[in-house]
Amino acid sequence: MSNVKIQVSDLHKSFGSNNVLKGIDLDIAEGEVVCVIGPSGSGKSTLLRCLNKLEDITSGKVVVDGFDVTDPKVDINEVRRHVGMVFQHFNLFPHMSVAENIMLAPVELKKMNRTEARAKALELLERVGLKEKADARPSSLSGGQKQRVAIARALAMAPGIMLFDEATSALDPEMVGEVLQVIKELADSGMTMVLVTHEMGFAREVADRVVFMADGVVCEQGKPEDLFGNPQQARTQDFLSKVL
Amino acid sequence: MENTKTAPRPRLLTRWIAALAIGMLALVAGAPASLAQGSDSVEGKTFVIGTDTTFAPFEFRQDGELTGIDMDILNTIAEEEGFKVEVRSLGFSAALAALSANQVDGVIAGMSITDERKKIYDFSEPYFESGVQMAVAKNNEDIKGYEDLKGKTVVAKTGSEGETYAKSIAGKYGFQVKSLDQSATMYESVKSGSAVAVFDDYPVLAYGIAQGNGLKTVTDKVPGGSYGFAVNKGENTALLAAFNDGLAKMKANGEYQKILDKYLADPAAAAPSNFFDLVAKSFPALMTGLWHTLVVTAASFAIAMVLGLLFGFFKISSNIVLRGIATTFINIFRGTPLLLWAFMFYFGLPQLLGVGISVWTAGILTLSLNAGAYVAEIVRGGIQSVDPGQLEASRSLGLGYGKSMQKVVIPQAFKMMTPSLINQLIISLKDSSLLLAIGFTELLYQGQQIYAANFRVTETLLIVGFIYFIAIMALTKLANYADKRFNK
Repeated sequence: MSNVKIQVSDLHKSFGSNNVLKGIDLDIAEGEVVCVIGPSGSGKSTLLRCLNKLEDITSGKVVVDGFDVTDPKVDINEVRRHVGMVFQHFNLFPHMSVAENIMLAPVELKKMNRTEARAKALELLERVGLKEKADARPSSLSGGQKQRVAIARALAMAPGIMLFDEATSALDPEMVGEVLQVIKELADSGMTMVLVTHEMGFAREVADRVVFMADGVVCEQGKPEDLFGNPQQARTQDFLSKVL
Repeated sequence: MENTKTAPRPRLLTRWIAALAIGMLALVAGAPASLAQGSDSVEGKTFVIGTDTTFAPFEFRQDGELTGIDMDILNTIAEEEGFKVEVRSLGFSAALAALSANQVDGVIAGMSITDERKKIYDFSEPYFESGVQMAVAKNNEDIKGYEDLKGKTVVAKTGSEGETYAKSIAGKYGFQVKSLDQSATMYESVKSGSAVAVFDDYPVLAYGIAQGNGLKTVTDKVPGGSYGFAVNKGENTALLAAFNDGLAKMKANGEYQKILDKYLADPAAAAPSNFFDLVAKSFPALMTGLWHTLVVTAASFAIAMVLGLLFGFFKISSNIVLRGIATTFINIFRGTPLLLWAFMFYFGLPQLLGVGISVWTAGILTLSLNAGAYVAEIVRGGIQSVDPGQLEASRSLGLGYGKSMQKVVIPQAFKMMTPSLINQLIISLKDSSLLLAIGFTELLYQGQQIYAANFRVTETLLIVGFIYFIAIMALTKLANYADKRFNK
C-alpha cells in the first residue's frame, strides 16, 4: 500500500448504552476508492461521520490526512477543510443561490476573495454540468441537480478526501445515474473516496475495495470482484443474496 | 390664570413648551433630585413631590400643565420659602408607595390626615377641611337619601375618606361598596348604571358637577377629615416646617383664600364644547404620550432582542448551567405579571439598592425583561426549526460553530422567527400602557389625565384607542414591508 490517507484503529462509538461501532480497523490509501456496504443499522454512516468528527468518537484512534482526529487539541475545522462530505439529503443552504452555496467556505475561510471564489464556483459547476444554474435558488432544482451542486460545494475547498453518505438514496431512480456519473468521474480523477452506498452495481464498478459491515464490525472486505463474486462469510453471503 | 379660555394663544404655547421641557428634565434627572435629610434650611433646594393624577380640583391637567389647589398651594409656599419643587404625578397609591420607597421627598394629593397614616408619615398642619358627599346620576329620581340605597351598589375611591364613610353606613342601610381608583371612572360607572351612587370628597364632587360630569348631589356634606402634606416619618423635617410656615403666611395674607375661591367658588370652565374641540385640545398631550409609548417600546424591544438571542442560545446550549440560567430567566419573567415587575422595579428596587430609579429605567427594565423572555423562546424555537443537517453541512465545510450559526442557521431561523417577533413587538407596545400604573407618561396615561380634568371618559378613550390602532397598523405594515424586503 502506498501513502496512507485514512487510518482507523480500534474505533468504538456508542450512543448511550447502544454500541454502534465495536472496534473498527481500516486503512485507506491515497487515491483509493472504498465502498462501504451492509444492512441498515450496521454502523456504516456512523463510521463515515466519525472520519470528520461529525460524531464524537468514544474510543480508538482516527488519523485523517495526517491529523489525529481523536486528539482534543486538533483544530477540527482545519481537518474538515481537507475532507469534503456529501449528504443523503443534500443539505444545500436554501437562503443562498447555487453559486453562493459553493462560495461560502472559500470566502468565509478567507481562502479566496469573492471574485476568485465565484470563478472557482462556476468552474466546479461546469464540472458537474450545472453552470447555467449558478444564480438559481436550490429550491428550483431537481434532486439530482441538488446533489451535483452539493458535490461541487464539497469540492470548493479542494479537499484531498471525499466522503459520500448514501448520496443517491434520496433520489428518484431516473436521477441516480447523473449523480453516479459525477462521482465516477471524481473517482477516475484520483480522489481518495469513501462511499456508503446501496448501489451494488456501482460499487462493483468504481470501488478499488468493498467493505462489508454488520453489527458494528467490518465483517469482510476485498476487491469488488472477490467480495461480490466469492464472499467468504455467511453474513456476507446472506446479505448479498437479498440485495443482488 | 383666572380663566384659561381667554388666555392669549402664545401664552398657551409657551406653557405647553414649558410643560414639555419640565417633562424632559424629569426624564433626564431621573432619580429624586434631593433626598435632603437633617438639614435645617430648605432654601435653594429642589424637592421631589409626588401627587395624584386625577384628583380635580386638587390636581389635574389643564392644557398639559398640572394645576389645582394642591399645586397652587405648593408652588406659593415654595416661592415664599425659597425652595424648588419637581412634581411627579404618579397616582394616589403610587405616590404613597414612592414616598415609602424614598423615590419622592413628600406627597401632596388631597390626602386626609388619619391616625393610621400618622403612624408612617409626618403630616403638615391641615391645609383643607374636607368632607364626604354622595352623588347620583342627574336623571336619577329614585335615590333621595341613604335609605334608598338598600340592595344597591355604590362606588368610592380606594383608601379614601369616602370609602371609609360609605362602609361605615353600608351595613345600616344595606348596600354594597365597590372601590375604584379614580374619580372619573367612578362617575362614569354611576352614569353607566353599574353603580347607583358615588361617595367622594365634596370639593371633588362639586368641581366635577360644575364641569358637567352628569351627576348631582342629593344629601348633605358629612364633615370629615382634613387634608395634609406628608413626608416620611422623621425625615425631611425642614421641608415640613417650611410648608407649615408658608401655609400660615398664606392664610394671613389672603393668598390661601384666593386659591380656594379660584377653584371652588368659580371653577374654570375648561371642558371643550364638542368632540373636535376635545380632539384639538387633547392632541398635543396625546402625541407626547404616543411618543413616549413608541420610545419606551423601541428601547425595550431592542434590549429584549439582545436578551432573547443570548438566552435563546443558552437554552439550546449543551452546557447544563447555561440551559438552567436560560430556563430560570424565561420561567420567572413569563410566569409573573408585567405589572408586578413594574411595581417591583419602581418601588421595590430603590428600597433594596438605596438609590432612586427613574420611571423610564423601571419601565424599560419591566418591558425588556418580559419581552426578552418571550423572544428567547421565539429564538430557541426558530433555531430548532432549522434542519440540523444545515449546521452539519456547514461544519463539514470547515466553518466553526459561530460562523455556521451566523451565516447558515440564524438567517434561516430569523426568517421563521419574523412573524412571531412582529407579534411580540406589537404586544410590547400595547403592554407599555400598563406602565401608567407607575406614573409613566405614555399614551393611555395622557388620556386618563385628560378625562380626569374634563370627565369625558368615553370620547377620550375612543381617541386614545384610535391612536393606538393607527400606530400599531403602521408598525405592522412597516414590519411586514421590512420582512418582505430583507427575508426573501
